[in-house]
Amino acid sequence: MAIARPVRLKDGAVVGLPRALLYYELYPFWRGLLEALGLRVAVSPATSRQVIEAGTSQAMDEACLPVKSFYGHVLVLRDRVDAVFLPRLVSLSPGTYTCPKMLGLPDMVRQNLRGLPPAIVADFDSRLRRRSLEEGGEDLACRLGRSRRHAREAVSKGLEALRNFRGGLEAGLSFEEAASGAEPGWKTPLKGWKMPVEGRREPVPAGDDLARARPDFRPLRVGLVGHAYNLFDPGVNLGLDRKLALLGCDLVTSEQLSEEEVRTESAARTKEIFWSSGRRILAAVTRFRRRGLVDGLIHVVSFGCGPDSMVGEIAERETRRSSNLPYMALTIDEHTAEAGLLTRVEAFVDMLARRRARPQTPEGAVAAEVTA
Amino acid sequence: VRVTFPHMGNLWIIAKTLLEDMGLEVIVPPLPNRRSLDVGVRHAPEFACFPLKLNIGDLVGALDQGAEVIVMAGGIGPCRFGHYAQVEAQVLHDLGYQAEMVTLEPPRGHLGGLLDKIRRLSGGKPLTRVWRSIRLGWEKLVALDDFDRALARARPVERLTGSAARAHRAAAARLADADGVRATRRVGGEGVREILRAAGLDESDRPGEPSRGRPVPRLRVGLVGELFMVAEPFANQEVERRLGEMGVEVLRPLYLSDWVRTHLIPRVFQPERRRRTSEVKRAAQPYLGHFVGGEGLDSVGEAILFDRQGCDGVIHVAPFTCMPEIVAASLLPEAGRDLGLPVLSLFMDEHTAEAGLSTRLEAFVDLLGRRRAVGAREKW
Repeated sequence: MAIARPVRLKDGAVVGLPRALLYYELYPFWRGLLEALGLRVAVSPATSRQVIEAGTSQAMDEACLPVKSFYGHVLVLRDRVDAVFLPRLVSLSPGTYTCPKMLGLPDMVRQNLRGLPPAIVADFDSRLRRRSLEEGGEDLACRLGRSRRHAREAVSKGLEALRNFRGGLEAGLSFEEAASGAEPGWKTPLKGWKMPVEGRREPVPAGDDLARARPDFRPLRVGLVGHAYNLFDPGVNLGLDRKLALLGCDLVTSEQLSEEEVRTESAARTKEIFWSSGRRILAAVTRFRRRGLVDGLIHVVSFGCGPDSMVGEIAERETRRSSNLPYMALTIDEHTAEAGLLTRVEAFVDMLARRRARPQTPEGAVAAEVTA
Repeated sequence: VRVTFPHMGNLWIIAKTLLEDMGLEVIVPPLPNRRSLDVGVRHAPEFACFPLKLNIGDLVGALDQGAEVIVMAGGIGPCRFGHYAQVEAQVLHDLGYQAEMVTLEPPRGHLGGLLDKIRRLSGGKPLTRVWRSIRLGWEKLVALDDFDRALARARPVERLTGSAARAHRAAAARLADADGVRATRRVGGEGVREILRAAGLDESDRPGEPSRGRPVPRLRVGLVGELFMVAEPFANQEVERRLGEMGVEVLRPLYLSDWVRTHLIPRVFQPERRRRTSEVKRAAQPYLGHFVGGEGLDSVGEAILFDRQGCDGVIHVAPFTCMPEIVAASLLPEAGRDLGLPVLSLFMDEHTAEAGLSTRLEAFVDLLGRRRAVGAREKW
């Protein structure tokens, strides 16, 4: 069993990066780091039906869709790369964990999938320290046979790319825009996030011309909260962002909050959530709600997601108790059908539009729990 | 104040003794049952794991009987259990209950901070008194776990189905009334002997060793999995009883007293426990190289250790959507394949039907029996 054994890779060897899970949070760091170490990075193609089916056939039934998708992406890479990159992301900031399944992921993948190329496994754990990416990255580089100095340079390359990427996200760019802006010359093959106006529905109920004529008119704004891998992967969320844009909505996502904002919101709680994703989701819900930033909130949840089953409940109950902001939990798994999802999203947006057209009612929030 | 807490197997015994001894009025919720489960399922988050739903059912039952303060354990993750108290507090609050939730957060997993909170709850009683309560509660918990172990040995070989269980019930009732550490120990010893005697066994028989014409169980399986599901018979639909009545001896590595030893008492004081923990970790290492929260790592390691002990198979129980156990369940089939050890993973929740469960258990036991018959597994 290859547990953290040194892997010898020649310069220019191709390392496969599965386009799933924390790829959506750390891709620029991985790519910056690995390229600075003289390796070539191959990202698996966008999540498709086939990818998910391949993953579903190999993973446990009980696993969540993002994990199954990760399996699928590893399978796509299997015969095409010299090594596959399987970091073990225990913790990304002090006092937090990612999720138990991510702690076990490298072991699960290597045990459940046959015929894998050598795996690059590295632990990233900052529960007690602040610098997990630095230390984990340097360790990784050293195990690949690089010198300390080379390792440190590579890590700072990766971190710089990550900073640029986060800056882009916080400024409201899409994942693809932020990722290609992280480093000049990087291109990601995915389509853009800001939708063309063409085909876009009128942002106000048909017939309400007066509303549009008002100088303070703005389109409906929907707060989209959830794990980055659910918000940014159109193969997993069935193009939810695109659907909302086509319905005339502007989007704000939980990924737009800066680390600092998440920390501040989280520290204000009597007990901080111990999942980093949960801290961000709860912080986003609280901010969006308190600042009146959005007309409605959609929490994208994977079926069976442990952290979100708790965090989502807290978010929904707090929202319902302290405001009348519409809140919808949208549960997604490999059986979710596009038509069903679209119907629910349309109903939700229609409801938002109707609420705005009407004077605000004082009674409690309209909360909808929906399993798509 | 009237204090309550949710159920987990035998835990109520120690909790009740402890809190009562500190001068608090304790309301023990009704034992988990179909009704309390229905209440829990109705009000708990849909995708919460099973223990949380049972917790809510227990707590609603106790609050309806007038409880004012809830004592609940906390946690530092990554298992969901660490946030149970918060979610439960919100659910109960929204239902209109005014109860206060006191969460015992493991202060880096040690006893000191726990004692502190308990003392505050008891209105600043002297530590010696609190210590005495803890001792008594602890002795009772250990005795009850001994009863359960004896029952697991007796059940598969009893002549008359249910006779060992009857002896167990009688012993447990006497234990609840036992006053003082010495009486508890005496009742504990007697109880174990009686339970074993109900099946014609003797205390001098070592578990798993065929001896001197005593009855021997047909098969032996190890029971691993998430703590609550293993420890709470209502949650696992009495998987131990079902197997025992099929003539299968069930070995459990995880009793509540062991869990308390591992998680609440600093490890420096118990070299044996520490050795065990690292043994489990080493056994799991080829398959799972990292802690994954809850009992995920233990499930893998203990299953492999059961194989080395010569068990016929392993049964793995976990609540539906349990994250650490999903990791374990992904790895156990691979370990089982390498070792030739049959493993049955059961993910259970309120939808688990009795007929489905017993069918699967019977099929599994048949499989183990046939393997034994063709010599795939040697007799121990």
